[in-house]
Amino acid sequence: MDYDVLVIGSGIGGMESSIKLGDMGYKVLLVEKEASVGGRMILLSKVFPTLDCASCISGPKMSSTINHPNITTKTYSEVSGIRRDATGTFHATVTEKPTFVDWAACTGCSDCQTACTVAVPDQFNSDLVARRAAYIAFPQAVPKKAVLEREGTSPCIGACPAGIKAHGYVSLVRNGKDEEAFQLVLDATPLVGTLGRACYAPCESECTRTKLEGPVPIRLIKRFAADQHYTAQGATPSGPAIEVAPPNGRSVVVVGSGPAGLTAAWQLARKGYAVTIVEKRAQPGGYLRHAIPAYRLPHDVVDADIANLTSIGVTIRCNEPVTDLAALKERDGFDAVIVATGTQDATAMNVPNEHVAGSVNGLDFLDDVANGKAPDLTGKKVVVVGGGNVAMDAARVCLRLGAAEAKVVYRRTRAEMPAHHVEADDAEAEGAVFEFLVAPIEVIADGGRVAGLRLQTMRLGEPDTSGRRSPEPVPGAQTSVACDMVISTIGMSPDATLYEQVAGAGRGGRIKVDPRTLQTDVPYLFAAGDVTTGATDITTAIGAGRRAAHMVDRWLNGQELTGFSALDGRLDVVGADQVLRRQTAYGHRNPVKGAVDLVPRPRDFHEIEAPLTPAEARSGAGSCLDCGVCSECQECVHACPADAIRMDQREKVSQVTVGAVVVSTGYKLFAADAKPEYGWGRYPNVITGMQMDRLLAPTRPYNTVLRPGDGKVPERIAYISCTGSRDQQVGNPLCSKVCCMYSIKQNQLIMGALPLADVTMHYMDMRAAGKRYDEFYEQAKDMGAQYIRGRVSGVTEKENGDLVLRYEDTEGTGRIVEAEYDLVVLAVGIQPNRDVERLFGDERLGLDEFFYVAEPSDELDPGVTDIPGVFVAGTASGAKDIVDSIVHAGAAVAQVAAHLERSKVASTAEVLA
Amino acid sequence: MSTHTLRDPREVIREEMSMHAAIRSALADGPLTVPQIAEAVGHPAEEVVYWVMGMRRYGHVVELPDDDEGWFPYALTSNGA
Repeated sequence: MDYDVLVIGSGIGGMESSIKLGDMGYKVLLVEKEASVGGRMILLSKVFPTLDCASCISGPKMSSTINHPNITTKTYSEVSGIRRDATGTFHATVTEKPTFVDWAACTGCSDCQTACTVAVPDQFNSDLVARRAAYIAFPQAVPKKAVLEREGTSPCIGACPAGIKAHGYVSLVRNGKDEEAFQLVLDATPLVGTLGRACYAPCESECTRTKLEGPVPIRLIKRFAADQHYTAQGATPSGPAIEVAPPNGRSVVVVGSGPAGLTAAWQLARKGYAVTIVEKRAQPGGYLRHAIPAYRLPHDVVDADIANLTSIGVTIRCNEPVTDLAALKERDGFDAVIVATGTQDATAMNVPNEHVAGSVNGLDFLDDVANGKAPDLTGKKVVVVGGGNVAMDAARVCLRLGAAEAKVVYRRTRAEMPAHHVEADDAEAEGAVFEFLVAPIEVIADGGRVAGLRLQTMRLGEPDTSGRRSPEPVPGAQTSVACDMVISTIGMSPDATLYEQVAGAGRGGRIKVDPRTLQTDVPYLFAAGDVTTGATDITTAIGAGRRAAHMVDRWLNGQELTGFSALDGRLDVVGADQVLRRQTAYGHRNPVKGAVDLVPRPRDFHEIEAPLTPAEARSGAGSCLDCGVCSECQECVHACPADAIRMDQREKVSQVTVGAVVVSTGYKLFAADAKPEYGWGRYPNVITGMQMDRLLAPTRPYNTVLRPGDGKVPERIAYISCTGSRDQQVGNPLCSKVCCMYSIKQNQLIMGALPLADVTMHYMDMRAAGKRYDEFYEQAKDMGAQYIRGRVSGVTEKENGDLVLRYEDTEGTGRIVEAEYDLVVLAVGIQPNRDVERLFGDERLGLDEFFYVAEPSDELDPGVTDIPGVFVAGTASGAKDIVDSIVHAGAAVAQVAAHLERSKVASTAEVLA
Repeated sequence: MSTHTLRDPREVIREEMSMHAAIRSALADGPLTVPQIAEAVGHPAEEVVYWVMGMRRYGHVVELPDDDEGWFPYALTSNGA
């Protein structure tokens, strides 16, 4: 047996049960779902009828619970699936939820919550005020430790092949922390400005806000952060403020300077490696510079991004083609080599006359344009073959070079085009024309130059392995188009000559690697990016660069090639429905979109997309729904002086065996919006009794008792008793036992806090049965509180936020009366916590007709349930005040002890027999 | 009668962070009460209560003594300024 007793819930009933059982010598496991013990009592202002401070009474109990030598407390944990075996032993599953904080290191200093960028309602203050996603439950929490509320990975982060924390930088920009946003992206890749322009933003495709009125403009927010940074740094960046480890004495060479290579170099340099990039072209950047046209990605942006690398010491050697990978290690002494040479070879059309003058491939064409060797296409007709992004770029570049016509011919239909739909739409808007279901069969030559293109008409057949319907020729159907230039963009593949003899080449000439480690069969040789996968996109290449750097670092340190947490082992992605369920309604926000300067037949290469203004960036970021709750912005990581944040923490599930179970799961408060005639949730100055208790508590959410509607000190305060109790209309005929008394307590406290305030309670009948309870009631009357008998039929709101109560004056005129107040408090009742129904698997725990835990013989055996060995303490079995909860817990403890001792006697008897 | 429908508190609270700048700007020239801040930032007073109290909780603003009419002015702290 792991423990003698499992106690579920650490409110006053659970704590009392645990302490008493521990005092008797029993080993107790106490499981609490929140991050602190204490339940609701610790959140109260004072207790009736003594007006003792609730914290002053609860605090020592909480401390005793946590520090008791016989009590093991698991907070932020839940019990599920309790099963009783034939011997009467219980087997319980306990799930310790991840706090994402190392509690052994956490000092409870609150720096994480001060730094946190996500605001959520504070359930410990009855939603009257915000807390942060990083939070300590309440000031008197025991243990006083921080928790990061993470419901999962936000969809934007989950969709990013580069593992960039999109939610994080959106949240930072929302908070005005633009430089921190830049640094967060920079932590993943140096290509912040590039991604802000040329990324296809899979994050936006998955953005939950899309289900409402349109996605958060995530990519443009990233561009905004990058532009802010580079503008502040000037034309020559002085280098990022990113952390760089001291030199570790080892060196790595990266072959190729596209996004994968640049990112791998960046990550390794920050770990202290001496990194050299070798590039065969005259300038670094790969397709970022040599293929993506400047109107989409200006070269000065690429330069600024690459300057991040050189600013931390990465060496970039251009005009240096590599022909011998082994020599890089054996001759040049590099400790590891990363191949990131991309897809340099254009796929040939394999048609007659393909190589005549005027027939080029798209990669060479775009490279020439990017490097000042653009042909003059004034008045020329150009045909671009293919349907990918390169085709769109080529067509749009042709128009900028003066072409009279840029026609894109593609063998399938627009629906199957691999180009991003935005690229295709923009190309069309600029004047590119499309012809679908045609394939080239011959370049028509005249005098050694292109004169036209002969095309085979196609139709769509059955879907191929990609899911797209395969094009097939229509017999005898051919056309031709006259043109001056043909640009082929039908595919790209790696050039395998560099590595096929060393590491081997696979399908499509790709280098052979383990896809998880990116290591080749040659241990020191790794590869990243399109050379391993074929043509993908920038973010995928960046993700591969990060992975390769991580694995190279681990290999060079003799570690297992695992642990790439940026992309592997993330929390499950939070579903859109899960996010949208958090609110009852959503206000409309006009989506923030980028302005794109699309004109027919543009004639220059100026950047066509305008940046967001600061106001647009904040507004766009402000539309984020915080899907994962925590944004992963890393501000808490930077702020924590104890280095206690552990984003990789995961839940722990364990099985325990116990001899008895005490259910002390407490109660739930009546949902006040179920009495719509009282206006809670519609009128800001109608609050619940629990909310008033928070306003009166020493750790109150406001500076004093104020109206939530406008922050004014209320002068006329009304209470409506029996809200949700003794009310067949809401299905609860029971008296909640505590509402009259807590209202009277609050009446007295309000008159103490606000001496000028008038307090009136509208009640059905006053229930003050208990030692000194009636005296407490009389004391409130003597202090000036008024008590009016008569059920309130409704509350309405005036334009100034004041409230009008309508009730029958049963003790006076008998008429319907209207009275005006500043603030109305609904004395909400207690309801059963039906979570208890999920606790037991094989046997159902018996409930009474009101869904409280049943005590079949409560008059003779209080605390005993209908499952042998399972007991109930406190309000889980019915409404009780604090005193009665403690008494009931005492009864349950005695029953537990009797059960455990009886079991021992039975075991001993069996042995003797 | 109320002139507008209350928004979901979670939505209002979520916007606290993006409202900091506007509220700071409103308080830059001196302390203001909640209705005065509400007028300055163009949002309903009950939403401003959430934001100001959130900022107060995390040290960005502090209340000053109330006036005779029951309103507390709120001022920027050195953290909030």
